[in-house]
Amino acid sequence: MTTANIPLKLTRKDFVSDQTVRWCPGCGDYSILAQIQKTLPDIGYKKEDIVFISGIGCSSRFPYYMDTYGIHSIHGRAPTLASGLAITNPNLSVWVITGDGDGLSIGGNHFIHTMRRNINLNVVLFNNRIYGLTKGQYSPTSRTGAKTKSSPMGSIEQPVNPVALALSSGATFVSRSLDAHTKHLGETLAKAAAHKGTSFVEVFQNCVIFNPNEWGPLEDRRQRDDHIIYLEHGKPMVFGKNHDKGIRLNGFMPEVVQLGDEFSVDDLIVHDETSKQLAYTLSSLEYPDFPAFMGVLYQEEKPTYTEVLMDQIHTAQETKGVGDLNTLYRSADLWTVA
Amino acid sequence: MAKELLKGNVAIAEAAIRAGCQAYFGYPITPQTELLEHMSKRMPELGRTFLQAESEVAAVNMVYGAASAGVRVMTSSSSPGISLMQEGLSYIAGSEVPAVFVDVMRGGPGLGNIQPSQSDYNQVTKTAGHGDYRPIVLAPSTIQEAIDLMVLSFDLAEKYRTIVFMVLDGAIGQMMEPAELPPMRELPTERPSWALTGKGNRDKNIVTSIRLGAQPLADFNDILQEKLAVIEKNELRYDELYTDDAELVIVAYGTAARVAHTAVKHLREENIPVGLFRPITLWPFPYQQLGELADRVSTFLSVEMNAGQMIHDVRESVGRQAEIEFLGRPGGIIPLPEEIEEKVRDMWRQKNLAAQIN
Ligand code: SF4
Repeated sequence: MTTANIPLKLTRKDFVSDQTVRWCPGCGDYSILAQIQKTLPDIGYKKEDIVFISGIGCSSRFPYYMDTYGIHSIHGRAPTLASGLAITNPNLSVWVITGDGDGLSIGGNHFIHTMRRNINLNVVLFNNRIYGLTKGQYSPTSRTGAKTKSSPMGSIEQPVNPVALALSSGATFVSRSLDAHTKHLGETLAKAAAHKGTSFVEVFQNCVIFNPNEWGPLEDRRQRDDHIIYLEHGKPMVFGKNHDKGIRLNGFMPEVVQLGDEFSVDDLIVHDETSKQLAYTLSSLEYPDFPAFMGVLYQEEKPTYTEVLMDQIHTAQETKGVGDLNTLYRSADLWTVA
Repeated sequence: MAKELLKGNVAIAEAAIRAGCQAYFGYPITPQTELLEHMSKRMPELGRTFLQAESEVAAVNMVYGAASAGVRVMTSSSSPGISLMQEGLSYIAGSEVPAVFVDVMRGGPGLGNIQPSQSDYNQVTKTAGHGDYRPIVLAPSTIQEAIDLMVLSFDLAEKYRTIVFMVLDGAIGQMMEPAELPPMRELPTERPSWALTGKGNRDKNIVTSIRLGAQPLADFNDILQEKLAVIEKNELRYDELYTDDAELVIVAYGTAARVAHTAVKHLREENIPVGLFRPITLWPFPYQQLGELADRVSTFLSVEMNAGQMIHDVRESVGRQAEIEFLGRPGGIIPLPEEIEEKVRDMWRQKNLAAQIN
């Protein structure tokens, strides 16, 4: 990471491109775009050192709207382009913008391998649980039973749980936020940017045209606090508009409890974002069976792929000396071709 | 059955169902998604299989699996999706299992756009994956023809245990036209003898594309080539319009042929002796028939919705003596009849001028 010589204080406006934004009016993507543009001036990178890479889908129009470098790449392949770029040019801030279709369907394989390598990049997955660009077919995160244009009788598939997948693939930063809660979203993106290694941010995003009711009360400012737990490291898991509910462990099983005579704050789970075991447990709690958790689920300090790679190169050079191609050519048996 | 107003993609899906398609695996991509959506609605209610795969790569291999079990199976996609299927296509060809593909072509290369195009001519007729084989490629130019060829696709696939492609472009996929659907066919009650159905008491069947050792693979390729030769002989399809007395012939297929048809009618009103030769099978390509036409006609115009792909086959058909010109619109643009008319008038003038000078 580099924080060297930043001459000008950038503002949100510096990241707004001259392109007309072509998402449907009311789409959750607008809010994510605005929050990323707001976050970038403070992440310690020069504008020309920031790159946005996307695949295919509504969310993947993102790079056009950023006044940074960008690649609108191939369906599902954004993490691979980003990996190549981030490894060979480690002084960049690289962002993958993807969706539940792009990132988890055809890109599912690349997603797993990107998460496990800990290359220094940020993956933001807009999850609207539908294919928006092709106008409303079920996606890998669509709920079982979801009626869509390609599942008229209801989807019979089991959805992917993105944070659980990121976690089990070995991601070192796993978080979640939602489009409608701009403040929380901005804070989460800033934390992701600050993390060294691969950061994963799932954003619950509202496709107002093809799946408008997916997130229900989560999208409603007046109701949402009764349905969301904001995770904070070292704090008990209290939630509710009146801070009167919480999550406790009953044996191994988390359960929602009402705070009052029977249970107090002391009975609740205290969030520890360094605990993988806790993260696994939390990741399995799915909304609406449980309140949706938002924030940093898990974070781990670990050398990045590039650091380990450079270490290997240095070790090789220390033990064997700096390589010489000419010597290498002549180090094996040679034939003279007449 | 009476004619009804049908949308291309939906008509094709329904025709496939009536032809007895037992399983469909696909992935949404514009401009063919309505085909998949129709399948998602109809297949379950008929007790048949529909699955929206996680990608085109997955879809083609699901097709491979079902085809190996002797199930009548298909997928559909559009150009970038077909590119993704190349690996599976080659394995299917190497395993000699029947499978039907619909490609509603769009502009390329790369993500390109979603406009009507004939960008996949080379991709489907020349290679469709690695190795020496060719799929049968059918190219309808109306919705009725698409319906009829869809049914034929399954028959040909099974007859030759081969891949059959039906290629059209987004214009035919998206337009509406009066057409008549075929009656619903009975599904086969038995699986083919070569299929993987559980050995039981019979000898075991093996479906594979692995043939280790040079000679076994060479022998297999010989068999494949023999089969392709039979297909070339038996399955040629093409259409001719006003070619009897034509002195100048347009070669075009699909939507380009529809536009050319309009142009030919206008030009005939101007007494320009122009005809239209329309390949319906892009592979096998009607080399010989077009070549025979070149015995009488010395001037050809290849009209395509790309930068010139079929033109090489036209050249191979008509030989070096004939003059061939090209009118093409890559990038997802449909040429206008006026453009073709202008081009033909110009060619006709040149031809007469040359005749005067000689
Ligand atoms: S289709 Fe849905 S996700 Fe796509 S831009 Fe419109 S509202 Fe947004």
